[in-house]
Amino acid sequence: MKRYPSALAAIATAAAVALAGCSSPATAPADPSGPVTLTVSAWNLESTPEFRALFDAFEAVHPNVTIQPVEILAEDYPEKVATMLAGGDTTDVLTMKNVTDYARYASRGQLLDLTDLVGELPTDKMAGLEPFDIGGKYAAVPYRQDFWLLYYNKKLFDAAGLPHPDQLTWAQYGELAKKLTSGTTADGQKVYGTYHHTWRSVVQAIAAAQTGGDQLGGDYGFMKSQYELALDLQRSGAALDYGTARTQQVNYRSMFETGQTAMLPMGTWYIASIKAAIASGKSSVDWGVAPMPQLAPGAGTTTFGSPTAFAVNEKAKNAEVAKEFVRFAAGEQGAKAIAAIGVVPAFRSDAVTAAFTALPSDELSKKAFTEDKKIVLEMPVSETTSDVDTILTEEHSLIMTGEKPVDDGLREAGDRVKNEVR
Amino acid sequence: MVISTEPAVPAMRTRRPPAPATRARRRTLRSILTGWSFILPNFLGFALLTLVPMVFGLALSFMDWSPWTDEPEWVGLENFERMFRNSTFWIALGNTVYYAVGHIPLTMAVALGLALLLNRSLAGLGFFRTAFFLPYVTSLVAVAVVWNMLFNPTSGPINQFLLALGVDDPPGWTSSTAWAMPAVIVASVWRDMGYYMVLFLAGLQTIPTELYEAAKVDGANAWQRFWNITLPGLRPTTFFVLIMCTVASFKIFDLIVVMTDGGPGRATIVLSQLIYLQGIQEGRFGFASAISLVLFVLVAGFTVLQFQLQRRREAR
Repeated sequence: MKRYPSALAAIATAAAVALAGCSSPATAPADPSGPVTLTVSAWNLESTPEFRALFDAFEAVHPNVTIQPVEILAEDYPEKVATMLAGGDTTDVLTMKNVTDYARYASRGQLLDLTDLVGELPTDKMAGLEPFDIGGKYAAVPYRQDFWLLYYNKKLFDAAGLPHPDQLTWAQYGELAKKLTSGTTADGQKVYGTYHHTWRSVVQAIAAAQTGGDQLGGDYGFMKSQYELALDLQRSGAALDYGTARTQQVNYRSMFETGQTAMLPMGTWYIASIKAAIASGKSSVDWGVAPMPQLAPGAGTTTFGSPTAFAVNEKAKNAEVAKEFVRFAAGEQGAKAIAAIGVVPAFRSDAVTAAFTALPSDELSKKAFTEDKKIVLEMPVSETTSDVDTILTEEHSLIMTGEKPVDDGLREAGDRVKNEVR
Repeated sequence: MVISTEPAVPAMRTRRPPAPATRARRRTLRSILTGWSFILPNFLGFALLTLVPMVFGLALSFMDWSPWTDEPEWVGLENFERMFRNSTFWIALGNTVYYAVGHIPLTMAVALGLALLLNRSLAGLGFFRTAFFLPYVTSLVAVAVVWNMLFNPTSGPINQFLLALGVDDPPGWTSSTAWAMPAVIVASVWRDMGYYMVLFLAGLQTIPTELYEAAKVDGANAWQRFWNITLPGLRPTTFFVLIMCTVASFKIFDLIVVMTDGGPGRATIVLSQLIYLQGIQEGRFGFASAISLVLFVLVAGFTVLQFQLQRRREAR
């Protein structure tokens, strides 16, 4: 059986197509105030509370609407939605988990054109809209925009007598990490200056964002200095080495929450879960966030991140209500609803920041969160994105385990991207 | 089937009795149909869930199809051309063979050794047999996680032990491209040995003890008895174990995914994993089917080869 997983998937797809083809889409009732059941595709509702928060807020404003989530396993989400759409599914609102899949659905004409809707929105206050622009048209509107910043453990900084990491350069960050590496936690675990998670984005995406390098281009010299920093930190023992982190499947959350690392570059999605860990008594970490370190001082903050968006199915049963939902989620009301549970909304305003109570109240954390910054898309969108991603991930592990010198690894990554990806 | 033919028989009898040859043929047909009706439920399941998908997969390997294209499109040998140009395919093929070559003989040797050890009267025999079989019934994910801890290059017990023995530069195991595959093979041998040990034990029970007694009387030592009685007596079992172990080795997937996920780099990526990545994660149904066809040919080829070698040996 295992030998033919693809065939099985194909048959499942074929069956889904055949079955879905039998059901004829019903036309929507015209009355906007009548009772409406709006269907929204979503993943892992239990562990993704933003959906429930948005649904509840929307239903409170529109009492005639009942939202019925179409729950899908997060790992299968892109394939499942693709299959649904191919079969003529009529789910109204489709959540765009990443921009690559969005581009695929949009290019097949499976999403409703929302350009007019975007025109009515206060786009100057919305982050993460740019990646959804396809030739001046939009078929999805972001409601959530995560970006990367530097988490730090205030207690460890104060104990070492060091100032909190405001607007660091990478060189300063490296020195700080070495100074902060000392002693052990209460459980006898070594305390590292920083922790780099095993994802390639920790090195590659930040290098691309800050140098303007192209991750799809096949010319990866721009990643070199970031790799040298990461390797130097793990060689000197200021960061847990990649091999251990990978083989032990180290959890970055427990590294930070148990005080095993003084710093942690990570995305904003982590804010809500630190808050939850502290609230439940699992962690007592005294934490703050700072802007991502930069290449050169005084040039503003550049970091990377990725937006999450809502789109309307081209075959939606309730297209008008669906559009209203997208508008609501992308606007201030939706933003406040998800900010309240510690999820970073795409819409920015003082009221939204005030609703974001999960953030520590110190000035540096506030600045890191609200300052004007450039957020570069984590990975550019193209037909080749996923193949290039695989290659970059493989070469990342070779460089980080010391199996290949930086130059060789980057050269091989480039050669493979140029020769094998089409 | 039998019932439905019953009324037809008396009607026939009113006419001329059929020639003996026809009657015999009818009886054969009838017993064939009866036989078929017995295997029908099983065959239906097999056909629906295995045969049809297999044939479909074979056809798919000549097509281009993904969740993002409407219809499968006939592309001839394009998937195969692409596969042969893909360096990851060759690496995965090499790794699969590497794994099989390491895993099959080691597992068989260890399993046979254990079976011989546990085939005598020994205090706590049941305990030991259970203990060696336990890895096979333990959750694979737990096994992989524990082995990863043992193999930890800095703080793992294995390297601590090697350091204590005076090895200055112990291997990096799963974080090193050279040692990742040996590490996986060690873990897989440990997991599978109990299962094949049970098969060998069963085989050992079938060898008549008189042979050993006679050999002893003739003055054969333990080694001669093993070589001339045990091994030939075990031949059918050995052959069965070899086939099962070969097929399982070529299809290895779960242990690798949990232990190394094909890494570091592509040091341990195997064919089934590549099929999964391309077919399920990337949605390239056609391309993945082409790779699975190669894997199928590989497994089938080796199995047929082993059958023929076995037949030749028996003919001797």
